[in-house]
Amino acid sequence: MKPPVQDRRQFLGAMRNATVAALGASVPTLTYLTSCGRPSLASSADRVILLWMAGGMCHTETFDPKRYTPFEKGMATEDIWSTFQSIPTSVDGLQISQGLENIASVMDRGTLIRSYRAGDLGFILHTRHQYHWHTCYEPPQSVQVPHIGGWIAKELGPDNPVIPPFIDIGQRFTVGEGEELKAFHSAGFLGSEHGPFVIPDPARGLESVKPPEGMSIERFEARMKLYQDLIDKSPVKDFSSTYQQESLQRSMERAYRLLKSPDAQAFDITQEPDQSYQQYNTGRFGLGCLLARRLAEMGARFISVTTEYLPFFGWDTHENGHTRLVDMKKQIDRPVAQLILDLEERGLLDRTLVILASEFSRDSLVEGRPGQKVKDQVEVPDTIDDMKNYGMHRHFTDGCSLVLWGGGIKKGYVHGETSPVRPFAAVTEPVLIEQIHQTIYHALGMDPETHYKIEGRPVYTTPDGMGEVLQDVLA
Amino acid sequence: MPNLSEMDILPRALVRRPNFIYLNSIMRLISARTVLFIVLAMTFAVLGHWISSCTDINASPADPIDGHSAYVFNKTLYEEVRNMPQQEQMDSVLLDNLNLEVRAIFAHKCYQCHSRAKSKGDLALETREQVMRGGGDGEILIPGDSRNSRLVQRLELPRGHEDAMPPKGNALLKEEIQMIKWWIDHGAHWSEKAFKQFRAAPLALSLPSIPDHDYLDHPVDIFVDQHFSQHRITRPTPIDDRRFIRRAYLDLHGLLPDFPVIEQFVNDPRPDKRSLLIDDLLRNREAFTAHWMSFWNDLLRNDYRGIGYIEGGRKQISDWLHDAILNNKPYDEFVAEIVNPTEESEGFIKGIQWRGVVNASQRSELQAAQNISQTFLGLNLKCASCHNSFVNNVMLDEAYAFANVFSSEPLEIFRCDKATGRYSNTAFIYPELGEVVGDSLKDRLASLAGIMVQPANGRLYRTIVNRFWDRLFGRGLIAPVDEMDKMPWNQDLLDWLAAKFIAKDFDLDWLLRTLMTSETYQWPAVEYPSDAYLLSSEFVFRGPVARRLTAEQFVDVFSASVVPIYSGIDYDPDHREMKAQWIWHKEIELDRVAIPKPGTRYLRKVFRADLDTPLKEATLLITVDDKYVLYLNEQKISEGHDWRDVKKISVPVSILKEANCIAIEAENSGVLPNEAGVLLALEVMYDNGDTLRIYSDQSWKTNDRKSEGWLLTEFDDSSWEDAQRYGSFGYSHWGKLPEFTFDPSPADPFIRSAYVKKDLFTTTLNRPMRDNVTTKREEETTLLQALMLTNSAFFMERISQGAEKWYARFGDDLEGLTEAMFQQLLGRSPSDEERLVVRNSIGQSPTPQDIADLIWTVVLLPEFQFI
Repeated sequence: MKPPVQDRRQFLGAMRNATVAALGASVPTLTYLTSCGRPSLASSADRVILLWMAGGMCHTETFDPKRYTPFEKGMATEDIWSTFQSIPTSVDGLQISQGLENIASVMDRGTLIRSYRAGDLGFILHTRHQYHWHTCYEPPQSVQVPHIGGWIAKELGPDNPVIPPFIDIGQRFTVGEGEELKAFHSAGFLGSEHGPFVIPDPARGLESVKPPEGMSIERFEARMKLYQDLIDKSPVKDFSSTYQQESLQRSMERAYRLLKSPDAQAFDITQEPDQSYQQYNTGRFGLGCLLARRLAEMGARFISVTTEYLPFFGWDTHENGHTRLVDMKKQIDRPVAQLILDLEERGLLDRTLVILASEFSRDSLVEGRPGQKVKDQVEVPDTIDDMKNYGMHRHFTDGCSLVLWGGGIKKGYVHGETSPVRPFAAVTEPVLIEQIHQTIYHALGMDPETHYKIEGRPVYTTPDGMGEVLQDVLA
Repeated sequence: MPNLSEMDILPRALVRRPNFIYLNSIMRLISARTVLFIVLAMTFAVLGHWISSCTDINASPADPIDGHSAYVFNKTLYEEVRNMPQQEQMDSVLLDNLNLEVRAIFAHKCYQCHSRAKSKGDLALETREQVMRGGGDGEILIPGDSRNSRLVQRLELPRGHEDAMPPKGNALLKEEIQMIKWWIDHGAHWSEKAFKQFRAAPLALSLPSIPDHDYLDHPVDIFVDQHFSQHRITRPTPIDDRRFIRRAYLDLHGLLPDFPVIEQFVNDPRPDKRSLLIDDLLRNREAFTAHWMSFWNDLLRNDYRGIGYIEGGRKQISDWLHDAILNNKPYDEFVAEIVNPTEESEGFIKGIQWRGVVNASQRSELQAAQNISQTFLGLNLKCASCHNSFVNNVMLDEAYAFANVFSSEPLEIFRCDKATGRYSNTAFIYPELGEVVGDSLKDRLASLAGIMVQPANGRLYRTIVNRFWDRLFGRGLIAPVDEMDKMPWNQDLLDWLAAKFIAKDFDLDWLLRTLMTSETYQWPAVEYPSDAYLLSSEFVFRGPVARRLTAEQFVDVFSASVVPIYSGIDYDPDHREMKAQWIWHKEIELDRVAIPKPGTRYLRKVFRADLDTPLKEATLLITVDDKYVLYLNEQKISEGHDWRDVKKISVPVSILKEANCIAIEAENSGVLPNEAGVLLALEVMYDNGDTLRIYSDQSWKTNDRKSEGWLLTEFDDSSWEDAQRYGSFGYSHWGKLPEFTFDPSPADPFIRSAYVKKDLFTTTLNRPMRDNVTTKREEETTLLQALMLTNSAFFMERISQGAEKWYARFGDDLEGLTEAMFQQLLGRSPSDEERLVVRNSIGQSPTPQDIADLIWTVVLLPEFQFI
């Protein structure tokens, strides 16, 4: 006897869910059965591009401008609010800073978070805050915690077997605070298999992924054949387990295939049509954005492009703040906008989460955050006579701007506000790094419970798995 | 037809976010019944897999190694209870064991939220009173009635249900829930027996005597043979001499034996040649130290560069350590000097200090306690630094008591980074071994050192024995090596070695010799299915596990056999000094000194020489990153294009005048700004023994353009800049260059990589960061490694240089080359088949490129890569 209509609908409804779930569950992307076997959630993004404004990008000079105060000899430092004028954007009512006209035109594709608050680490050390930003954990830690790129590379795996899933563009590790940078540019306990593929100079990206300089493809192939033949013909096989030998051989083959693969051409930005190339060509960062786009098209999972952290350079303005920022904005404006437009044109933006962020912001007076000042590191005169002192030279952690595009993010939305008067701290809807990370993982379909037991301790993608998704920024 | 409640048990995650778009079209095509069938089949297939991998403690091999399981589900007990006839009463022993097992389950799956320290829902599960009282919602169990016990009901809720327990983390196994149900149904008995949550190894060594044996006399072999008999394993045949000498050299020196040495060894008729070889290798202290420095650097978190140095929050122990290894410092002294340090050895317990606020569990005193525990005692104190440990028996208070030894003031105890208001007392982590006494910090450290190294602390000695065993055999007697509470696969062997080690005056060389003269060490590497197997409960020792060359070994054997990889040293055991500084033109960008841009720069130094006393000779050393032309008094006397190539020039004294001018035209190559520098030293010797020395330093003048007459002494360079210093001879981007010396004796043929700072090359080959203690390195080949080894310019360049050398030696003679290369790198002659392969690949006349390809191939063969 058939159950009554109501029950039948209920039953079919439940079964429908189960069907779909089961169908979805049996699709052979079985990487979802890793890390405590939690199946992945539905995702709105397949990849992430992080545009890293290293050194502390001042929010009031970029995405959160305040009253414009032009330079005047003898002006009081406390009167210096924004040193740039505001410009309209493609989002009604939203103004950002002069110098970012191109980015202004694509703000309607994404969300601007104005109320990001960086961690309280008691002292401003860039690389310590950068470590916190990139791993979600405050150093020092008793285990090697992974970079967000490492988590993503591990959990999602490569999209294209020939493109390393985690790519890091634009940072050299031999300069400045190189040792501190190395501490978090790693997949830590997840294993070096998921670590970053480093390309300090995007113009030379291809060098890392083609046969060695001066080696023709024929010679490259002959060399690999020699290698494989000698292994085959070796009279000695018992020096290690088959498992170990095969593991080594497999990696060598993978590398070989990558270096020969036509997909590796994605690393060669000189192949880009000239007009497009020039749009991006504002310098190393701009070309890095171009490389990131090409790699995103070819299947990378997490690509970081940085303006490069070098103490006292880039966004890390200890003096000449205004002057330096004119140049920094020139470096980022066209390429970032072009990246968004190109991804959109190629139908990739919907599934690519692009983030533009920095470890903290700046202010001319406050070091740290109001009420929790830390040791001043920059001498700031009460009045200024020179352009050298005109700008934001102290490190401000209480209100920072962060922009998100694509990958399921709300379009044309502004989240949170900072104070209209100094100190320019976040006054509504403060956002913390755990929320940013969890939102990214959520977009990628990664379970917030994702964790591994390291020396007995479960280490989650966010501390204790407590990071909350910022639902407001999701479409 | 299944009822709806069965459908409910689908985990919520699987029914979230149905994709209706696909669904509707599919649904229209298939009948409900068919769909139902498909659904059930797939669901159960998926669920089954999902449940087992989710709740399997030893999960998938993809997991990083989980050292958690000192707790293993007691299958034997489970079977015993399950097979009991229905009506039978449990005897008191069984009741006790069942309760203890249930308490172990509570400890591992519930204590995180339900213990004295943290009682969510007001419920704690540590004592009988707490369990019977229940929580904020009342009782959690009814003795005798598991079905109606809320504890069981919540444990059995589907995962993802908002009331399911535990809400996150490892769910209970079906069997564990069943154990709890049985325990409740049989009256929820509470045992009087002491509940030790985790196995704790006894501190004292058992002192096993060596069993008699018919034909074996090496104690290690005898114990291993016992183990083999138990598991019915056949004794393997030892490896041949060729293999053995290679293994011994790599394990003791991190280098390969030269082919003539191998041949001599193979032909040596002495029956004890293998043990004599070990003795020889141990006698060469420089080579030995240059290899074992890396092992100890990893273990003692010591490095020449790293986080913390820029802030003064870290200190090297390199000098002390180098000396300790070189002179085979007895291990008890070694440990005592780390625990109760001098200025030279205090870096380890000093920890790494970051400026600013640091989590309480990472204060330097806690770091000291954690690091000492891990490195020397194989005990994990990291968990207990924040809260009572979930992986061993250590409590928060105990971790703090130990940390307090290293503190000048009593530490306030912080739980999960929150102050508790309580202050710690002072005690060693194993207080039964002795009380730490002392009014001052220094006194306490001395007291602790004495307690730690006493023979009664067998654990200290087991731990180091196990680490050495792991190093030589690829897998410890206990694994992971930092969890010395786990059962070794042979307790007698471990304890005998530790006891004998003490009796032999804590002599690490004795330990190495003992292990390496055993037949066991000489066995061929074993087959095994995966790395997870080595840590699993299935592991059975059958012989050594092959080890992959470490980053340093690979670099060093390459440097010895092909071409030196490094030119600069970052730790110099000889402490060579030179006043020369690396200088370059100062580049300012917006008021900041910037990294030098590519381009040509000009440097000048004017100096006076006394010509009244006769001059004997003058020598000039110079190196420039990247290129230069050097003029002295307008004469070009040197040029170069590679900073690794230090030039030593004999300067004819006739060039010198009363007023002299050194002028250098130097070029920084590249596209991006990059490091550039000039390093120069001039020594003028007089007949009477006086010397005049001129060094590159900040008194030099530099400019980014030259003008007429810039080579002349009288040129007016007052408008030029003072040179900017970019490093000192001893400390710079380039490292200390041993070739940059007036010393006539030749420098070492190549630099051992243990003394070079970490770079991208060695990092990719798994040299660790060393901001945490590292006790075992990853050995797997990653894609990034393979990419680098296949095409890195750094590596290819050196292979090419090596190829040139081989080409110069062999020219056209491919057969000779192949033979020599196999002998040098693999320790044997190539087989006929291998020769044929090479011939077919390269053809008749090898070019340097062909040779480069052959070198590349051979050093990446598995036979080369594994020990």
